Amino acid sequence: MKKLKQSQYYGILLLLLMLVAFWAVFKILAPATFGSPDKLMTYMKSALIYAVGGCGLYFICSMGPFDMSVGANIVLSSIIACNMSERFGYLGLVIAPVIVGTIIGFINGMVYIKLHISSLIVTVALSLIYEALSVYATNGKNVILSTDYRAFGDYPANLILALVAYLLCAFILKYTKVGTYTYAIGSNEVVAKNMGVNVAKYKVVAFTLAGMFFGLQSILTISFGTSMTSATNLSSMSRNFTPLMGTFFGLAFKKYGHPVIAIVVGEMIIQLMFNGFVALGAPTTIQNVVTGAALLLIVTLTTKPTKGAVVK
Amino acid sequence: MDTTVKKDSAEKIPFLERPMVRTILPIAGFVVICVIFAILTDGRLFRPKNLTLLLSQSYMLLISSIGVFMIMTMGGLDFSQGSMLGVCSIVICYLSHYNIVLAIIGGVVTGGLIGLINGYFNVKRKITSFIVTICTMYLFRGVVAYATTTSPVYAVSDISKYNTLPFMLTFTVIIFAVTFFIFTFTGLGSRLKAIGAGETAARYAGIRVERTKMLIFMAAGCITGLAAFVNSVKVGSVTSTAGNQLETQIMIALVLGGMPVNGGAKVKFYNIILGVMTYKILSSGLVMLMISTQMQQLILGIIFLVEVALFSDRKTGMIVK
Amino acid sequence: MGEVLLKADNIDKHFGITHALDHVSLTFGKGEIHALIGENGSGKSTLTSCLTGIYQKDSGTFTLEGKEITAKNQVEANHQGVAIVVQEMGTLSGLTVAENIFLGNENDFISHGIKNTSAMNKKAQEYLNSYGFNYIDATRSIDDYNFEERKLIEIVKSTYFNPKVLVVDETTTALGQKGREELFKVMHKMRDEGNCVIFISHDLEEVIEQADNISVLRDGVMIGSISKAEATTDKLKQMMVGREIGENYYRTDYGEKISDEVVISVKNVTVKGQIEDLSLELHKGEILGIGGLSECGMHEVGKAIFGASYFREGSVTLGDGTPINSIPDAIKHSMAYASKDRDNESLVINDTIGENICLPSLEDLKKNGILRSKNMKAFAEKYAAQMSTKMTGVDQFVSALSGGNKQKVVLARWIGKDSDLIILDSPTRGIDVKVKADIYAMMNDMRKNGKSIIMISEEIMELLGMADRILIMKDGKINGEFFRSESLKDTDLINNMI
Repeated sequence: MKKLKQSQYYGILLLLLMLVAFWAVFKILAPATFGSPDKLMTYMKSALIYAVGGCGLYFICSMGPFDMSVGANIVLSSIIACNMSERFGYLGLVIAPVIVGTIIGFINGMVYIKLHISSLIVTVALSLIYEALSVYATNGKNVILSTDYRAFGDYPANLILALVAYLLCAFILKYTKVGTYTYAIGSNEVVAKNMGVNVAKYKVVAFTLAGMFFGLQSILTISFGTSMTSATNLSSMSRNFTPLMGTFFGLAFKKYGHPVIAIVVGEMIIQLMFNGFVALGAPTTIQNVVTGAALLLIVTLTTKPTKGAVVK
Repeated sequence: MDTTVKKDSAEKIPFLERPMVRTILPIAGFVVICVIFAILTDGRLFRPKNLTLLLSQSYMLLISSIGVFMIMTMGGLDFSQGSMLGVCSIVICYLSHYNIVLAIIGGVVTGGLIGLINGYFNVKRKITSFIVTICTMYLFRGVVAYATTTSPVYAVSDISKYNTLPFMLTFTVIIFAVTFFIFTFTGLGSRLKAIGAGETAARYAGIRVERTKMLIFMAAGCITGLAAFVNSVKVGSVTSTAGNQLETQIMIALVLGGMPVNGGAKVKFYNIILGVMTYKILSSGLVMLMISTQMQQLILGIIFLVEVALFSDRKTGMIVK
Repeated sequence: MGEVLLKADNIDKHFGITHALDHVSLTFGKGEIHALIGENGSGKSTLTSCLTGIYQKDSGTFTLEGKEITAKNQVEANHQGVAIVVQEMGTLSGLTVAENIFLGNENDFISHGIKNTSAMNKKAQEYLNSYGFNYIDATRSIDDYNFEERKLIEIVKSTYFNPKVLVVDETTTALGQKGREELFKVMHKMRDEGNCVIFISHDLEEVIEQADNISVLRDGVMIGSISKAEATTDKLKQMMVGREIGENYYRTDYGEKISDEVVISVKNVTVKGQIEDLSLELHKGEILGIGGLSECGMHEVGKAIFGASYFREGSVTLGDGTPINSIPDAIKHSMAYASKDRDNESLVINDTIGENICLPSLEDLKKNGILRSKNMKAFAEKYAAQMSTKMTGVDQFVSALSGGNKQKVVLARWIGKDSDLIILDSPTRGIDVKVKADIYAMMNDMRKNGKSIIMISEEIMELLGMADRILIMKDGKINGEFFRSESLKDTDLINNMI
């Protein structure tokens, strides 16, 4: 048993068991309206999208900082993707958001490092700016993706793109210097710095990479939702949290060595819960309650309170 | 080995770190913004009618900032204020049909309970306040949406009789007077600043850190209950968007008032009033200039960023997350 | 000494107003183990930190084999031929053993941006095996290994680049007997290959046994070097402490009778992993010294008595039976505590001197229920002045003060509170000689005024010089009690520590 617990597959097993358990519970409670294979495919569609962002956020969060501009990034990138698709077709739809997302990520990282202030505050302030730009990009109306370019909104193209993103994330984490340094900085910034890790540089790299993943998520988001409205007054903030939940799953299961799988399965579990409650007859407005409670639960279960620890 | 000794010695404090500069900057910011908008709007912004309007829009933000101010002094953050205000407003509107005093008490108690939830997870479960309050923000936003799914919750119709300048102003001033007194003359301010500046050391100096934190989270909730009353009086009903983005407005306002984001010793009580008024004049000035909303937001974003950059407390070798 | 390998020339370093290194010059030869010793705060770790790029020196030069070297971080130092094993944990959790060994040097295993993990693991394992650490698996997470094993991995890491100079900074305190032997083997191997090992240790006997030459630093000043043959522990101690300290540095009285009145009694206190079933009594007007090796649990005793330990079992009561279960309890009953960790536990470092002095006394400073800043300021000024704290004013931030002045602020706080029972943990750690003498004088005054003091200290001379009674701890238990006497020797205490 002890050996099993230490095995890297233990974590994955645990996650899959959770997934099945949630499915089973809701299936028993609402056999008619929940969990048939085709419905599961629909749930997974949204899970796939959020997990891409979750992968991006993982780079930032495992180092310690935070990104509150995920939503604003996705809104702006999606709008530009849509606009560019009209001019350059699929090429515009795929390349434009990745470029925009990456640039936004780079700006976040640079401002955070140069100003030397909490990433939380920096990204909130920058969100205000990105949102304003999104309004300019739409002229205040919403953009609609032409029916000609909606392939990434459905199987199999969405799955392929998402898988590419997951593999990319796993690859960077495991087989490049960036991955090692991400964990090194997250473990102890001061020691990492003494060992010659250019902490500032790799933090910017993490933000930039994350931005790229949010760009990828934007392709899927606009293709799935087909339209996007510009955001004001930080309303884009609500888009931050679903990817974040995946990231928390990733961080919680980090020690088992497969964070990307944890992120994806985590998002699936969240989607099962959403749809489970809806299938039980709860109004869709209950979604936020579920999100908040689930997030709080995950964090509570994964943090071990130590007496006397300084927690702000 | 004494490795934590600060590198810069007493004689050569950087310009922006000097206490005088730090005191003057936010005030100067406020004055500059007032002057700029006075000129740009040809003085229209400061006509009595506009000032009354400005004030009536500021009560809620002013009151709800007090709680967050105290939490931020301890180095924490509270993002759940907006949702909390929504939930409290629902309770107040519902109870206002029975008795107005009961409604206020109901709102305050509701806020206090939500504050306790925040406090429990932050203090007892040792989760960062930022994460906790983001979760509860979401949770209670859902509750507000759920309670207003079919129709808004309406308050008793004659609640608007309280919506007068004298009543609202007195109500706000009393709250400020009481909290200012408690913060300054009972040692609470010193304790909160000590917790913000060094929690462990504060504990060894005899401060009941956990209890104080719990109490402040609860107090912040109670104060938001009062803000919710002001909001209900003004609006008369609660929709699913009640209090939306209030938390970010509070944070922006406090930072504009010169509040250090990490709390600690350099916090001043006047940061609240200065910040809220700077924020309100800035935003209503921009509206009055007929600037498009997106431009307003762009300008606000840039000013916010510049001010945080100026006011943040930076120590050599400090790790910033 | 043979051929010169490394030369430190006029190295100068300030931390704020603390002059940590005062133009230190020193040479290290090829094929020697060169020990650096000195009391806490003497500058020995600062010197090696400047050499290895952990700190940047203010002025001066390091010359290795005729070439000047300056490193901005440890990896640069590694490439210049200087490596260090630090006092604290230098490995990063969450990474594998191999990743830790090659952190900052991954480029050797990267082609086209892709990291060849298996080659890295293989190399790391070969390297571990060459030291005989076959039982450490390079592919596993570093978190699977305990502190001692992680230290050994660090040693392996530090010697990977065949450094010409290896700094071993107080590593032995963290190691058990077996770990020490492994470390000494590595050190001897380095020496035999014609390199230099700079060895920093508090254990003088170990130093004399291992080192070829020994240099002594005091208060940032180079005092002198002697060879192994000349060295005795007494001689080294004399060099470390300095000759200018007269007889009245410590108390001079012997044989004074201690009151029978018990002011605090500790019964069967256990703090898991730190203290085991410990009981003691403190009398009125007594200075009770508690000594031992730094990991023996004595630092936790202070916390346990002050009500600050989490998960304490057993009881702490005052003479009249009042239980002390929390810090506020303790403070209410006139107890005070100055921690060894001054910057985190004693002082709110990013707050002003005034606030720091007033914090425990806020309730006493109220007049008619109202606390005025005027009264706080007057109070703080009075006690800061009484302790002759060097400052620009009570509005100054504590973070800008030197170690000695910080300690004065701590003491001013508790004198202001008029505490009757004071627990001092390492009261003179990192403090210069003058302030030290002040603190000893103050302790003596307090004793004479009937106040009781518990002094926890790692410095044996201080215990012998100041305490009426000394308890020596070992592995969380009391392992010997000694009464003040002129004939009491440091060796008597040491025998009970180890």
